[in-house]
Amino acid sequence: MEREIKFFKLIQETSFRRIEISYNNLVRHLERQERIKLEAIDVYRLLYPYVNKRFKEQLVTVIPLVLYLALFQILFLRQTIEDALTITLGIVAVIIGLMLFMEGLIKGLMPFGELLGNKLPQKSRLSTIMLITFLVGVGVTYAEPAMGALKTAGSIVNINKAPYLYVMLNQYGDILPVAVGIGVGIAALLGTLRFLKNWGLKNIIYISLIPTIGLTILSVLNEDLKSTIGLAWDCGAVTTGPVTVPLVLSLGIGVAAASSRGSSTLSGFGIVTLASLFPIIAVLVFANAIYYIAPIDINNLTRLATENGNTELSLFDKTPYLEIILGIRATVPLVLFLLIVLRFVVRERLKNPTYITYGIVLLIIGMIIFNIGLTYGLSNLGNQSGGLVPAAFTRLNGVENSPLYQYSIGLILALIFAFFLGFGATLAEPALNSLGITVENLTNGVFKKSILMYSVSFGVGLGIMLGIVKITFDIPLHLLLIPLYIVGVILTALSSEEYVNVAWDSAGVTTGPVTVPLVLAMGLGFGNALGTTESFGTLSLASICPIISVLSMGLIIKFIVSRKATGEFKNPKGNIIKETV
Amino acid sequence: MNKARQMVTLKDVSLITCIVQKGVADDIVKAASEVGAQGATIFYARGTGVRERLGILGVAVDVEKEVLNIVVANEQVDLIFEKMFLAGKLDTPGMGFMYVTPLLKAATYIPPEILDKLSKENC
Repeated sequence: MEREIKFFKLIQETSFRRIEISYNNLVRHLERQERIKLEAIDVYRLLYPYVNKRFKEQLVTVIPLVLYLALFQILFLRQTIEDALTITLGIVAVIIGLMLFMEGLIKGLMPFGELLGNKLPQKSRLSTIMLITFLVGVGVTYAEPAMGALKTAGSIVNINKAPYLYVMLNQYGDILPVAVGIGVGIAALLGTLRFLKNWGLKNIIYISLIPTIGLTILSVLNEDLKSTIGLAWDCGAVTTGPVTVPLVLSLGIGVAAASSRGSSTLSGFGIVTLASLFPIIAVLVFANAIYYIAPIDINNLTRLATENGNTELSLFDKTPYLEIILGIRATVPLVLFLLIVLRFVVRERLKNPTYITYGIVLLIIGMIIFNIGLTYGLSNLGNQSGGLVPAAFTRLNGVENSPLYQYSIGLILALIFAFFLGFGATLAEPALNSLGITVENLTNGVFKKSILMYSVSFGVGLGIMLGIVKITFDIPLHLLLIPLYIVGVILTALSSEEYVNVAWDSAGVTTGPVTVPLVLAMGLGFGNALGTTESFGTLSLASICPIISVLSMGLIIKFIVSRKATGEFKNPKGNIIKETV
Repeated sequence: MNKARQMVTLKDVSLITCIVQKGVADDIVKAASEVGAQGATIFYARGTGVRERLGILGVAVDVEKEVLNIVVANEQVDLIFEKMFLAGKLDTPGMGFMYVTPLLKAATYIPPEILDKLSKENC
């Protein structure tokens, strides 16, 4: 119709070279499947989007949090950030480390999980499967990036005020992850059994809570062990991270699918809940075991600690070699174990060994870089701002003009800070987004993705706020946790199975590798500045609060839906008549 | 009110199919729309090809693909084809593959006022 020539088409015509060749000829040349020779520009163009996408993924989760902490410190507390350069480099290391680690996880570790999950049930008896599931549970805990944060946290604990806590994190610092791992292992085992036998999650929650709460009360009654409760409950939140959840899940789902009994849409849920409850039991048992089997002599311990000098106590006297060793120790055993199982039990070979090797190399390097970033970036920053926030409402040495605000205003400011830290960090967590989508599908769109995301984030924010309240007024953790869990249990009893699954899992899914170290370090810095005995527990409060908020939201939605439904039945005239005309 | 239903068949149509890595399709659709494509259908798929021959660099290529189907007028086909090629950076190994197929006919909803105009022109 139109006979105009567009200008850009003219330019294109002159600058864009077109060559026509016959595919027949091309195929003849390509017959041998030879490697393609790449030029530098091609490598760049190939790698740029690949790296860019993965880098940005981590950037958007890390940067807002870091900026929030930094800006709060500068604007409201009017303090400059110490070691700004170190922290910045540390944060960059965290982003790069996480990027490599996550890519390594997808390329290197996940194929193992999928292959094992699919093939193991066909080739082994149930007892073997259970043993392997258990051992994988132990292994993944070691590989969890946030576990490194516990080690860092250990050096801040005051040896005189909480000797058992100190011992658990330092002298027995290598055994603690094993204890946590055993907890996760049992959880993985039970979770898989649950898929096979179709047990309801409600009953499992009730049954697992009995020993959890029981051991907590037992430890509360013991003056020496009181200080370990916070650590134990926080371990539950630390374990459910980016390695444990997908690997254990893919195993569990694979087993359930192979037995073709896991027909429910809910298969896949529940393991996370168990994996955050059983480590609590395991750590509490561990604490009690130390107390009864090898009780510690405080004088002896203090002497030892001072003999070891500052190398043991200081946060930053670590060489990068330590991180390298830690990184290798966290990942290599798991990979080796999976390889051995695959070779000798399942007798399968991996497809694409090149990619898997590449993934595993990335996994290890990523873990090392992340660990370095964790120490110098996240823990440093969290500890620093945590230590300064109390200056808003109380007198702190080293902070001029403190308290900066009136007591009540300062405290409210600190609480608002804590709330939005939790709220924002959770909302940015990519795992929450995918959980939201699953839930929306599961409930046929009744429980909207955004509603879930906001209620979980609200819960986490509330939990971290409660954690700050706990540290500020030195409230014993059990006085907060036990009532909250009772509320949780009551709401669980009232809710339907779907919502119970979603709510209890939401807490574990959302505490990722950035949030955990940051919140942990912040709590510890905060507590140290105020001189409280132990400052763990914030994470555990951030776990139970979203459970309650999601369950309540579920009940509210159910109520609204049922009211709407009855309302429509009462007045059915309008729509139907219109449609027939 | 009881209008007789009718179908208008379109002639001179081609189908451009473009297979790219997951996540790239939207950019290509945008580029194609800018030069006159009316819409696009995107499938998710998995595929192999160049990735296996890139060696270790193959990791940079996603196994999951998006397959774009765009129906275009024969007059537009070369322009849109080239635009899509450039937008998808298909001149880099592993980025994708695209082709054009002639279509016998196509049919969809045609706005009545445009239909009137066209039938007048043809008469």
